Amino acid sequence: MSARDTILAAIRAASPANDSGAIAAEAAALLRDPVRPALAAPALPKAFEVKASALGTTFDHVADMGAVPQAVRRYLDGHGLPPSLALQPAPALAALDWTGIDTHPALAPNEPAALGLALWGIAESGSLVIHSGPETPILLSFLPLHHIVVLHRDNLLAWLEDYAGKLAAQAIPRNAILITGPSGTTDIEGSYVRGAHGPGFVHVIMIDGG
Amino acid sequence: MHTATKAPFKDRAKAALADRTLKLAIDRTTGTAETKRAAAVANFPEFQAARDRGRAIKDHVIANLGHYLEMFEKNATASGAQVHWAVDDAEARAIVTRICLDAGAKIVTRSKSMLGEEIGLPHALADAGIERVETDLAEHIIQLAGEPPSHIIWPAMHRTREQVADLFREGHNPPPEAEDPATMVQSARRILREKFLGADVGISGANFLVADTGATCTVTNEGNAELTTTPPRVHIVTAGVEKIVPSTAHAFALLRLLVRSATGGEMTQYTTFHCGPKRAGDADGPEEMHIVLVDNGRTRMLADEFREMLRCIRCGACMNHCVVYRQIGGHAYGGTYPGPMGSVLTPVLDGLAASRDLPNACTMNGRCAEVCPVEIPIPTLLRAWRTRSWRERLEPGSLRGGLGLWAWAARRPAIYRLGSRIGVRVLRLFGKGGWISHMPLAGGWTGHRDLPRPPGRTFMEEYRARQKGTRK
Ligand code: SF4
Repeated sequence: MSARDTILAAIRAASPANDSGAIAAEAAALLRDPVRPALAAPALPKAFEVKASALGTTFDHVADMGAVPQAVRRYLDGHGLPPSLALQPAPALAALDWTGIDTHPALAPNEPAALGLALWGIAESGSLVIHSGPETPILLSFLPLHHIVVLHRDNLLAWLEDYAGKLAAQAIPRNAILITGPSGTTDIEGSYVRGAHGPGFVHVIMIDGG
Repeated sequence: MHTATKAPFKDRAKAALADRTLKLAIDRTTGTAETKRAAAVANFPEFQAARDRGRAIKDHVIANLGHYLEMFEKNATASGAQVHWAVDDAEARAIVTRICLDAGAKIVTRSKSMLGEEIGLPHALADAGIERVETDLAEHIIQLAGEPPSHIIWPAMHRTREQVADLFREGHNPPPEAEDPATMVQSARRILREKFLGADVGISGANFLVADTGATCTVTNEGNAELTTTPPRVHIVTAGVEKIVPSTAHAFALLRLLVRSATGGEMTQYTTFHCGPKRAGDADGPEEMHIVLVDNGRTRMLADEFREMLRCIRCGACMNHCVVYRQIGGHAYGGTYPGPMGSVLTPVLDGLAASRDLPNACTMNGRCAEVCPVEIPIPTLLRAWRTRSWRERLEPGSLRGGLGLWAWAARRPAIYRLGSRIGVRVLRLFGKGGWISHMPLAGGWTGHRDLPRPPGRTFMEEYRARQKGTRK
């Protein structure tokens, strides 16, 4: 008997199989009236910003996509970084006017800063959502020290369950990642140190208008 | 398997109790963990309702484990992942090693996984001549120290920052410029960065296996998991069969409990779902993804009185709040999993005969069950092991004899009262003030704490005297 059959037989012997319709109904019932914490503020943008800021994520607000390059410049200057940036290969970003900033698609192992798009923001936890794909290398969110993320305020969701709903409604990507603040660790004596293997800085440029 | 040659539990505990630095290290981390968890729970007034729901989700999965495993296998396979099944640790080791060798792996990066420890992966990779690079900071620390983890969330909890500084000074080239945690973390970041990008295989565990998508989910704070699973050509996940959840939304319900109970945070920095290998056109990702589903005693638990233990989501709260763990640390337990949950699991994994001291080394104060986010009645399960140990006659003759004598006396009230009258009077001879700090044959107790000196009379004597008084 294969390991698979041995394990499944042992499971069947211990718990008899139920009707799959009944199982699905029970699973759905367990999701009804989800038990979750209150949002940090009534309005989603505010709730999101409160949660994300508490974890060390910083914010800038712009009216539209066209203003993103200036916001990026503001951030780089503010941190004393050169005007150079690894850019996510997404048409929405490539279409912007990058005059004065050297953008490149390839990521160096110690890339200082990178810019990418978040699909959604989750207000409950202050999380940014990234899905892998042809235009979204996962390493862009992990190698750089400064991770700058563009998020449209229309793409804010209230709860984790709302995101689960979005994910279930589409073809599942190879990686779906919720990024909640800069990387950190508490592995030495339980005390928090910001900036472990991933980015030490996460900066959100929120598009407030059209 | 793994933990090679073991001194008896009592000797390990004695050595741990004598180690002042160890006590300091444990206190620093568990103290913070306890305070932060309490604050996180207080900030989520519905925590008890969330616990009830989490427990119900786990019970639902455990009752329908076969159904969900088959669903997971079907969906994971459809995503392009290869699903393997392992009955025990040896099979799991063999599967992982074979995949690594087939991939021609020289360097393997690993993101922290207790299941990997449980199946003895570190030794198996070393035996196969493969360089293993632990990427979680705590795992990196204990790899430098050549030690197993001492906690399931903070594997290097037993090390003070001063000790970590010593390890990094020797193990990092160049050594860190300063010995504060922030500088040491930066040093590890620099050292491990090259390894991430040069690895042939990345191995991770899973916090959840999502049945309806076939995805595995890892939660981490450092970002090492994604750097482990993205660059190499092959990604291997090892996971216990009990990690299944029906859907992503069910995983989130459990995640709210897991993070608050583990670190006192609300969400880990990275919550990542891995679904199959790199897709056509994807910018990065591994070419192959393998998922090894491991039983290793879990289906046995499903069939007996330890079934509820399968609810465990490995948060570590039970050990952070355990008076025994906080005195002796994780290594003294001698199994892969320490603390209260480990004392339930180790007899399953290593056999009761080799681990019967663990269920006995519990004060039954019930703190573990109070903080467990899925309400596992750990003290009840430990008592079940004690009962089984007694029934299987694993207790030593002196204990069986002593308890037999006590039972004989307890059924004869006159003799019992006489015995206790003599007992309290003898005990008083050794006390000074209210406490007994030395007594022949009681060094095991008095070596680490004083025994209260009993009052002059037994309970029954006092009771009689008072009854007489009231009747007057
Ligand atoms: S037994 Fe409960 S408290 Fe302990 S690790 Fe498991 S889930 Fe957490």
